[in-house]
Amino acid sequence: MGQGESLAPMSDEHPLSPVVRRVRGLAELLVGTDLLRLRIEREGEAIELGRRALHPDQVPEMPHDLGAIETHPVRADQIRADLVGIFHLSRPAPTEGDLLESDRELAFIEALGIRNPVRSRGAGRIVTIKRGDGEPVEYGAVLFEIDRG
Amino acid sequence: MRTVAIFSEADRESLHVRQADEAFCVGPGPVARSYLNIPNIISTALITGCDAIHPGYGFLAENARFAQICADHGLTFIGPKPEVIAAMGDKATAKRVMREAGVATTPGTDILDSIDEALQAGERIGYPVLLKATAGGGGKGMRAVENSHDMERAFTGATAEAEASFKDGRVYMEKLIIDPRHIEVQVLGDEFGNVVTFGERDCSVQKPSHQKLIEESPAPHLSDAARSVLLDMAVRACKHVHYSNAGTLEFLVSGHDVYFMEMNTRIQVEHPVTEMVYSVDLVKEQIRIAAGEPLGYTQADLQLRGHAIECRINAEDPTNNFAPQAGTLTKVVFPGGPGVRVDTHVFSGAVVPPYYDSMIAKVIAFGASREAAIARMERALRETVVEGVSTTIDYCLEILATPQFREGRYDIGFLPRLLAHAVT
Repeated sequence: MGQGESLAPMSDEHPLSPVVRRVRGLAELLVGTDLLRLRIEREGEAIELGRRALHPDQVPEMPHDLGAIETHPVRADQIRADLVGIFHLSRPAPTEGDLLESDRELAFIEALGIRNPVRSRGAGRIVTIKRGDGEPVEYGAVLFEIDRG
Repeated sequence: MRTVAIFSEADRESLHVRQADEAFCVGPGPVARSYLNIPNIISTALITGCDAIHPGYGFLAENARFAQICADHGLTFIGPKPEVIAAMGDKATAKRVMREAGVATTPGTDILDSIDEALQAGERIGYPVLLKATAGGGGKGMRAVENSHDMERAFTGATAEAEASFKDGRVYMEKLIIDPRHIEVQVLGDEFGNVVTFGERDCSVQKPSHQKLIEESPAPHLSDAARSVLLDMAVRACKHVHYSNAGTLEFLVSGHDVYFMEMNTRIQVEHPVTEMVYSVDLVKEQIRIAAGEPLGYTQADLQLRGHAIECRINAEDPTNNFAPQAGTLTKVVFPGGPGVRVDTHVFSGAVVPPYYDSMIAKVIAFGASREAAIARMERALRETVVEGVSTTIDYCLEILATPQFREGRYDIGFLPRLLAHAVT
C-alpha cells in the first residue's frame, strides 16, 4: 500500500474510490498466493481479507493436454501385457493400495487356453489397477501401476 | 461386415488401424514379435469374436501352418486350404506338382539341404542359377549365383534372409533365364471346382533385387497364342490341385518359351490393375469364396476392358540402390480424378518405421488404351507429393518416359540396365 493513503471506511465514492481499488488490489494479490487470510495494519487502522479454503472438488481442473508430461507418481512402475488375451485378477484379488512385500502373481492373461501369469516383479504398493477382470487386453496394455518408493 | 485390424506398436497410427472397427496391438515393431506372432494374432481373433482372417499379402499369407491353426480354432482362413498352400505355396513342391499337371517349368531342384547339395545342383543345371526361398516373395531370400565360387555366400545369405522374413529358411534352385519377361496370371477358384482367370499382368519392371516396381495389365505385345497358353496352363494347374480362392501363377516368358516359375497362394500387391481392367473386387471375391459361395460366373462372363498400370511408391532412395528410407512424412498429397486409384496406409505426419517393406502407396491408372493409361499415370504421379523421405515417384516417371516402356518392349533386365546406364 502506498504511503500516506488512508484506510478509512469505504465512502459513497464507491466504486471508483482509491480505497476500493486498493482492496481489490489486495484481493487480487491474495488470489495469486496460497494464503487464506491477509491482514495489514498501519497507523491504528487495519484491513483484513480472507477466503474460504477450496473443497477438493472445487480445485480448478488442469488442462487435459499435458503433452508429453507424465503424470504418474514418482517411481511408479507400469506392468504391461506382453501378449494378447483375457485379463484376470489372481485370487485373492489384489486391490489398489495393497502393499506387496515381494514379487507375487497379481493376475494372469488367458490366451489360447493357456494361463500366463502377470507378476509384480518385486515389492511396492499397487497404485492403480488399470484393467477390469475379464477384459480383453492387447500387447503393451498397462495393467498395473506399482509405486516402488 | 465389421473388421478388426491388428498392428504393431510401430504401426499404431497407420490408416488401417483408424479405419477398422476395432484394432489390437499384437506386438512390438519387429515382425517376428508382431505380424508373425501367431498366438497373439489368433488370440486377438478369438477374443474379438472374429469368424475369419484375411492374411493380406505378406507375412503369414502363404503360411500353411497358420492356415491350419486358423482352422483348428474355428476361424476361416481367407485363402486356399492349408494342404494346397503347402503344395503350391512351397515353390519347390509347386514345380513338381506343375510338372505332374503337364505345365512347363524352368529346370531346377527341390529343397536344397546344404551348400554341397547346392553346388552339385549348380553344376548339373549350369550357371547362372537362382536361389529362391520356398516360402518367399518380393525378392526376399533370392540370390543370383554366377558361378560355384559365389555359392556359399549366396546360399547362406538366401537362407538367413528367408528365415528372417518368412520363418522358413528353405531354398531351392532354378536355372536363371537371362532377361525373360515376368508375366503372371490371376486366378480365382471356388470350393466347387470352378476356376477362372482374370487375364495376365506384366511385372517385368523389377529392381535388381527382383522386387517389382511397375505392373500393367494386359501385358503389352503378348500374342494371343502365348496368352492362350498361359491362361490354359493356369487353369490346368489350379484344377489339378483343386485350388480355391485367389492365386497367381507366375511365368517367365522368353520368346515363344513359357515356363511356370511359382504360384503365390494369396492376393498380390499388384491386384488392383486386374481389378481395374475387369471391374472386379478381388478381395470381396476372396471373402465370398471363403464363405463357401460359388463363383457365380464363368470365363465367358469376364470381359477385359482397357488398360491399367500400377506404380509402387516406395520410401526408397533410387539414387542409392533403392535404400529404404524411414522417417516422418511431412507432407503427403495423393492424386485423384477419373481412372486413378490410390491404395495407401500413410498420410501427412505419418512415420515410416524401419521394420517393414518400404512401399507406402500404390498409384493405379486406368485408360481405354495403354497410351491413355500411361498419360493418366504421368499426370497422377506429377500430382503426388510425398515430402520427408526419398521416394520412387520421380524414378517411376523417368521409367514411363523411356522409349522401351513407351513401346512396351521391356524385360526383367530393363530396369537393371537402365540403372547401370545412369551410373556410367
